[in-house]
Amino acid sequence: MTQYAALIYSRDVDWSAPEYAAETAQYGEFAEAASAVIRGGASLYPTSTATTVRVEAKGGTPMTTDGPYAETKEALTGFYLLECADLDEAVRVAATIPAAWDGVIEVRPVIEFPM
Amino acid sequence: MSSVASGAGSLAPEDAHRALAEIVRVAGRDVLATLARWTGNLALAEDAVQDASVRALQTWPRDGIPDIPVAWLRTTARRCAVDLIRREVVRGPKEALALGPLTDTVLPEEDPGPEVVEDDLLRLVFTCCHPSLAPETRVALALRTLCGLSTEEVARALLVSEPTMAKRLTRARQKIRLAGIPYRVPSAHDLPERWDTVLATTYLMFNEGYAATAGPELTRPALVAEALRLTRLLHRLRPRDPGATGLLALILLQDSRRAARTDAAGGAVLLADQDRARWDHAAIAEAVPLVGEGLRLSPAHPDPYVVQSTIAACHALAPSWQETDWAAIESWYDVLLRVDDGPVVRLNRAVAVAEARGPAEALALVDAIDGLREYPLWHATRAALLRRLDRPTEAATADEQARRLPLNAAQRDLLDG
Repeated sequence: MTQYAALIYSRDVDWSAPEYAAETAQYGEFAEAASAVIRGGASLYPTSTATTVRVEAKGGTPMTTDGPYAETKEALTGFYLLECADLDEAVRVAATIPAAWDGVIEVRPVIEFPM
Repeated sequence: MSSVASGAGSLAPEDAHRALAEIVRVAGRDVLATLARWTGNLALAEDAVQDASVRALQTWPRDGIPDIPVAWLRTTARRCAVDLIRREVVRGPKEALALGPLTDTVLPEEDPGPEVVEDDLLRLVFTCCHPSLAPETRVALALRTLCGLSTEEVARALLVSEPTMAKRLTRARQKIRLAGIPYRVPSAHDLPERWDTVLATTYLMFNEGYAATAGPELTRPALVAEALRLTRLLHRLRPRDPGATGLLALILLQDSRRAARTDAAGGAVLLADQDRARWDHAAIAEAVPLVGEGLRLSPAHPDPYVVQSTIAACHALAPSWQETDWAAIESWYDVLLRVDDGPVVRLNRAVAVAEARGPAEALALVDAIDGLREYPLWHATRAALLRRLDRPTEAATADEQARRLPLNAAQRDLLDG
């Protein structure tokens, strides 16, 4: 089994707002249907709340900029951690995440570092 | 062991070497398919088969070709794989981790038998032509694994440098392993779409050889030969599949014109002007029954490759350009539009209409096609039709527009001529 991150790129809006209740309910349905393979995940507030952080060198003073690292039309708005047999299964599951038809999903294998 | 002298005694040394290399290559492909399943690691399996093939080419000329070359190669490749695994494990935990759960104990000793090898080949086909790989990567990977070319040969076939190709192939194998692209035949539900990807990859390989978009030559026969080899394999693996049947017929028919498509100077010769005696009539004779078979296999909704092969067969069987049955060709294009509508199909249909019903009607059809302004043959077709309609100024403008777009050198000469 391989773990995959299903990165959700969709409209850069506040998904916790009541006007998105219908969409949020769709995610609830997805999470229930795919509960066997979902190992984790999160939804993110819009990129207007993002702070990008970097330091000159380790231990340096944080330099922050307002906003996301990369400005894109569709923003990273959340992710799921999926555990699947192979890429075919991961793609099949990712295709049922609502953002698949209202944005895009990027599926990436997760590195498993030795303990 | 049979002696080399009896098997290849009458051949010149370089021919004997070529015959030997061919045996190693075909057997190596079968061994690779099984070894990839045993190890679950395509890169490792390729390295092991590569090592075994080198040993075969070193020892067989001296000791004779083994009675069952594929068995010899499989045993040797298995041993090479075990050596490679042990070496990686010794190198450290990072390398061992890259092997996944693999240990040398999982490599079976038995002969998988021809049916299992066929299944393994089909798995390999689906892995190399996985839709999560870029189309040009699929072509490169298929050439490397399913056609058994070396990385250097793949690079030469696709006109990129060897380091670039090596990097591309390494990245592809890495994606297969890390992203978990499976090594199996897709479920019945996914199979039709995935098989379409396999056929499209093969056709892309053929087309790049048949109408080279880069380089000085009009065609790249080596690439065409590999595409034909791959199509024969696909047809052997799924003989009742209309797409594989149609694609094999189509490639045979299109390639049958190869010798007549270029003149002595390497310039392109149009279908109308080709010396039909120089067509490969053996290839045509092989293809025509496949066209019929393809139509029988997909009666209700003809497979697009089958319909294309039908059109190619109409040309192949016509004694001359003038005696071509253009009405039949136009009708087959109508069928093709129903199963696979697209601007290039519409353009080709218009060319048939020009012969069946005259250039004026054809030009109206060509002008009505959207989305081909960047396609040189759209402009070239317009130019030819305008010239036939005695509108030389507009024809010259269209020619000029065609010349600005990418073409191979031989096609460009044709426009200039």
